[in-house]
Amino acid sequence: MGNPISSLEQLRKQQRTKKRLTENINLMVFLLPTFVFVVVFIAFPVVYSGFLSFTKFKFGIDSAPKFIFLKGYIERFTSDSLFMESLKNQLVFASLYFTITFTLSLILAILINELTFGVQTFQVIFYMPMIIPLSLVGITFAWLLSPINGFVNIIIRNLTHNVRFMFDWYQEPKTALIGIVIARSWKMVGFTLIIFVAGLKGIPKSLREAARVDGATFWQEIWKIIIPNLKPYMLISSIWILINSLKVFDLVRVITEGGPGVRTYMLYYYSWKLAFERMDLGQASQVAYITAGIILIFTVVLNQIFKPETAERG
Amino acid sequence: MKAVSLEYGKLSRIFFIIILIFALIYIFPVFWVLITSIRPDSDIHKFPPTIIPKALTLHNYIYVFTGMEGFSRYFLNSVVVTTFTVVIVLVAAAMGGYAFGMRKFKGNNLLFMLILSILTIPYIMYLIPIYIMEYKMRLTDTYLGLILPYVALNLPWGLLIMRGAFSTIPLDIRDAAVVDGCNEYRMVYQILLPIVKPAFVTTTIITFVFAWQEFMFASTINKQNYWQTLPVGIVWIRDELQTLAMGKVSAAIILSIVPVLVLFFAFRKFFIEGLSEGMLKG
Repeated sequence: MGNPISSLEQLRKQQRTKKRLTENINLMVFLLPTFVFVVVFIAFPVVYSGFLSFTKFKFGIDSAPKFIFLKGYIERFTSDSLFMESLKNQLVFASLYFTITFTLSLILAILINELTFGVQTFQVIFYMPMIIPLSLVGITFAWLLSPINGFVNIIIRNLTHNVRFMFDWYQEPKTALIGIVIARSWKMVGFTLIIFVAGLKGIPKSLREAARVDGATFWQEIWKIIIPNLKPYMLISSIWILINSLKVFDLVRVITEGGPGVRTYMLYYYSWKLAFERMDLGQASQVAYITAGIILIFTVVLNQIFKPETAERG
Repeated sequence: MKAVSLEYGKLSRIFFIIILIFALIYIFPVFWVLITSIRPDSDIHKFPPTIIPKALTLHNYIYVFTGMEGFSRYFLNSVVVTTFTVVIVLVAAAMGGYAFGMRKFKGNNLLFMLILSILTIPYIMYLIPIYIMEYKMRLTDTYLGLILPYVALNLPWGLLIMRGAFSTIPLDIRDAAVVDGCNEYRMVYQILLPIVKPAFVTTTIITFVFAWQEFMFASTINKQNYWQTLPVGIVWIRDELQTLAMGKVSAAIILSIVPVLVLFFAFRKFFIEGLSEGMLKG
């Protein structure tokens, strides 16, 4: 017979190890679904398209991917005019989209915040496009702006008494891209509006009342109190708009198919075209990776711009 | 104090008018589709075209239900894909969110940061490998073929929201239950889940909004009418009928968004609060 105290301790130790074991098994069970989905549908695709981007691989023509290292990337920037056009269009699109969405939702949020009644109704109206699929937004705007029966052209025709006015907004090089920006912003404004409204609600009423008692005008209130307090929310909505500015594939595909000419080719659309029409998986993956790189750079830059204020708020 | 409140009232009226104008312009596209959907085709496409309808008809709606190939199938597919995506995301995110939010383990923070970094990856990066993978596994033109990637794309958001909710629960609650001899799964299910209910609502809304609208994956992965969802299906209908059938296409658009609009109105408080909470955590 051993020492009773030490055997008791042993028993406890055994129990503790057993408990720890079940706890560890439980932990694995809890993490399993996440692990499976992330590895199979996120990590593997990222690695695999990374691999493809270093190769020359035309599906159905090349029997296997041929490793060419960075040559594909260099080609995209030096001898691929369609890529450069897509990149340029994407940047123009993103800056217009950013400006319109950001300003419009900020102004609307500030105005709605001052209302004493009807707030809910207005919010519902502006949030509504969020639940309408982007492709259907595309059909809607293409219909509104269509050359003969489109609402916009009928109005212009009636106002100018010019019966022959049949401007094809989405097929004219000058207006096609801005037309897509407007359709995209129409859908997005509600999203950022929610963020700004939430931010405005967080500003203490006493702060503004004090300013008002001191004789501040509404403009001064906006610049001195509202805008500085909204900075962290501006960062969040900026990042949201930025990441979203890539997601115009639906609109391009539904409204213009990249046209007129190549005027509305953008990064997603070009990568998709390369992969699923030309079957060039190597080139398509290079475009996809360059897109990810650009987004990464912009996110870091935005974080830097808004950093001091966000840190202050903890 | 009186002067202060007076100023409020005056400005408020001007603001109201400005917003009203904005709101009317804003809602107009939907209104115009609605008007188009109740006009006969001959009225929509006559020349010179007019804005005010000469006649109203429900013919387009009847056609969508009886004569239009595919619409009800698209609708069913959208409902099935969205429902399963939401349910799987909820289960997986609740499990993972609990592990990340309440369990201490080596690499917890690092792993979670890694999952968060997924949120900035453009979806186009996944599309080609997922298509090849599903093609080889014969998952194209099936429900699973859409549900699985949709779950993966929404899971990081769900985890972010769920972890946030679980990490606000005091660890004492868990320890007390464990000391009482409660099995960990039962403890999570019976004690913790009711506490994080709001996070479920947020996750549901974010996932629902995504799955109901997704176009790029659906149009690439599915080629057959039988498996297609609404956002792509209606575009196919339009391409098939061409522009001279805008009345019918408009009716299909209205029918596809009205049920969601009703849900949106019914739950708008959850919707708005859920979305703002979810987005601000990102």
